[in-house]
Amino acid sequence: MLLENLKIDPNQLPQLEARSFEGLEEDYLYYRITGRSLFFLFAAGFASLFSLFGKVYFWYWLGPILSLFLISIVYELLSFKWRGFCLRELDVSYRSGLIVHRMVTIPLTRVQHCEYSQGLIGRLFDLAQVKVYTAGGSNSDLVIKGLRKNTAIKLRDQITKMAGSHD
Amino acid sequence: MTDSLNLHKPQRQAPLGVAVMFVQNLRRAINIFVAVVVVNFGRDFSILGLGYLEIAYIISTFFLIFSYLQYRRFTFYVKGDNFIIEKGVLKQDKISVPFGRIQTVNTRQNLVQQLFNLVGLKIDTAGSVQQEINIPALSKSYAQALQEFLMEQRYELQNEEDVKLQEDSEVDITDSIREESSLLLSIDIPMLLKVGLTQNHLRSGLVLFAIVNGYFWQYEDLLLQPLEPYLAETAESFLTSWLILLPITVVAFLVVSVLSSLVTTILRYFGFKFYLGEKGLSIESGLFARNAFHVPFRKIQYFKWEANPLQALLGYRTLRVKQAGAEAINDKKLIAIPGLAPKQLLKILNQRYKARKVGRYSYFKPHILLRNQRFFVFGLLPISVLGALFYFQNLVWWTYLPLPLILILCFFWSTSYWQHYHMRVNANFIELKKGYFIPKRILLPVEKIQNIALNQSFLQKQRGIGTLVLYTAAGSERVSHLPYEESLALYNYLLYKVESSPRNWM
Repeated sequence: MLLENLKIDPNQLPQLEARSFEGLEEDYLYYRITGRSLFFLFAAGFASLFSLFGKVYFWYWLGPILSLFLISIVYELLSFKWRGFCLRELDVSYRSGLIVHRMVTIPLTRVQHCEYSQGLIGRLFDLAQVKVYTAGGSNSDLVIKGLRKNTAIKLRDQITKMAGSHD
Repeated sequence: MTDSLNLHKPQRQAPLGVAVMFVQNLRRAINIFVAVVVVNFGRDFSILGLGYLEIAYIISTFFLIFSYLQYRRFTFYVKGDNFIIEKGVLKQDKISVPFGRIQTVNTRQNLVQQLFNLVGLKIDTAGSVQQEINIPALSKSYAQALQEFLMEQRYELQNEEDVKLQEDSEVDITDSIREESSLLLSIDIPMLLKVGLTQNHLRSGLVLFAIVNGYFWQYEDLLLQPLEPYLAETAESFLTSWLILLPITVVAFLVVSVLSSLVTTILRYFGFKFYLGEKGLSIESGLFARNAFHVPFRKIQYFKWEANPLQALLGYRTLRVKQAGAEAINDKKLIAIPGLAPKQLLKILNQRYKARKVGRYSYFKPHILLRNQRFFVFGLLPISVLGALFYFQNLVWWTYLPLPLILILCFFWSTSYWQHYHMRVNANFIELKKGYFIPKRILLPVEKIQNIALNQSFLQKQRGIGTLVLYTAAGSERVSHLPYEESLALYNYLLYKVESSPRNWM
């Protein structure tokens, strides 16, 4: 049996499971696809300069860019359902990733501060993100993306309040 | 004590500080100047009709005036609950350090400071403002008084803010910073040589190689010019003669590496003294630059110790003390204590972590994928590339002979690595063991965890395993290829421990 040194039963511990995660706004998927499209559009525009003013055959760059674009769209569609967050009484978690599933949890007692931000494209979709900082260095910070603006503000306030109350 | 320090009005450093600042400035200038001299070496060089010597005089005079101004403008004082430093000639800087934010106050003495009998004071703070707070030139007695004053202020403030701390220690804390701590390790000359000779020579050799290489390429054209005719010749016969050259190079590399690690060890660890106190660790060391650190226990996030084969032979460990710091997961924050006998190491661990042996440990072992991946990345892949290279170079058949041998060794090494890799967890501690040639042990108290991540790649998902990453304020530790169900249970358990424990990480 695992963790037999404990007087408590590990099965009785609060479990963080796939179903405890809350999905993100569907708009976030379109937001990401828009971001990808803009990136590839920009790349295509840059590459087309070589064709217009140089002697590079159009399909030489259009082919790779289009296929990369398709792959990234498929990736976004498939990975979207893996993204989600979970705020519990004592911690906050986020999970993401299709090829590598990643799940991160920050106990609220370890939260240094918490901020809310909204980008340019985010404003168009009415989406914002909440970033939770710990003392564990920049690799370990947790970013919850794809929230409605008022949800994000509420979430930030909630996390800040709960983190403060544990000190 | 405040009266003797006279901190309510701005204070200057010791007058000889001008000299210290002058040498500091000069050293920076010389770094730039050397490049100019080297590039123009052997040529007549002049700016506005002035030769080297005249330019050197002008620059020195300029820096002397500049250093004097720097000294005049550098003041420090106390205002309310803040320690304030004002400095800067062209740009005025005002650094304000709240007493409560002070983490540690260290004194250090480099060669120049030793020459003038002065001491530098460095203040470490918590928080993301990573400004260097450094007073480079103080008289010894003043520096000591200032250090004690700052630490005292800090403890007083923390007492007011943090009731828990008061409950923890019924003894007056201001007394305990000056307490007598016991000398645990003092390195004398024979011991210093032993420590120097058992360093990781491969690493110091490579570091030296990197430095020399960097300088070499900077002045490549200059250094290679006289050798050019020979180089063209050697390039042709290079491939046939590398078998003769290789052993010579290896021997030369080894000798230089050993010498280099010996020299760095003597510079770093001369007169090394390690004290173990009730509230923290203290270290003094260095030949030219004397450094003195005091590390409060609460700032220590975890311990890491290791022994390479040479050190294992003599029975020594090197202990690394991982401290918390804002962006400071760098070498300066990482204090290494060399030449520790296992008994001394155990004394530190047992004094610091009394509950280490309480309760039973659960053991975790990685999946065999760990061995296979290592074997692939460090064995199969490089050997295949090398084999392909040999093939395209049309080398004779016997040059291939070492390849299978290396492959077998690598397989053996990967297997041993996998077998020796394990983690054990009890109610308060996580212990990690990694490495075969240089076994590393990590002891991490559960409450020092900042956050936890569990990753599962495509390959891992097929095998039902995952990678656990534990983040602390002093860096992260990753445990690869553990069974997924068990890691998830551990994940939930560690979260429960961190969230329910009243102990904070600092």
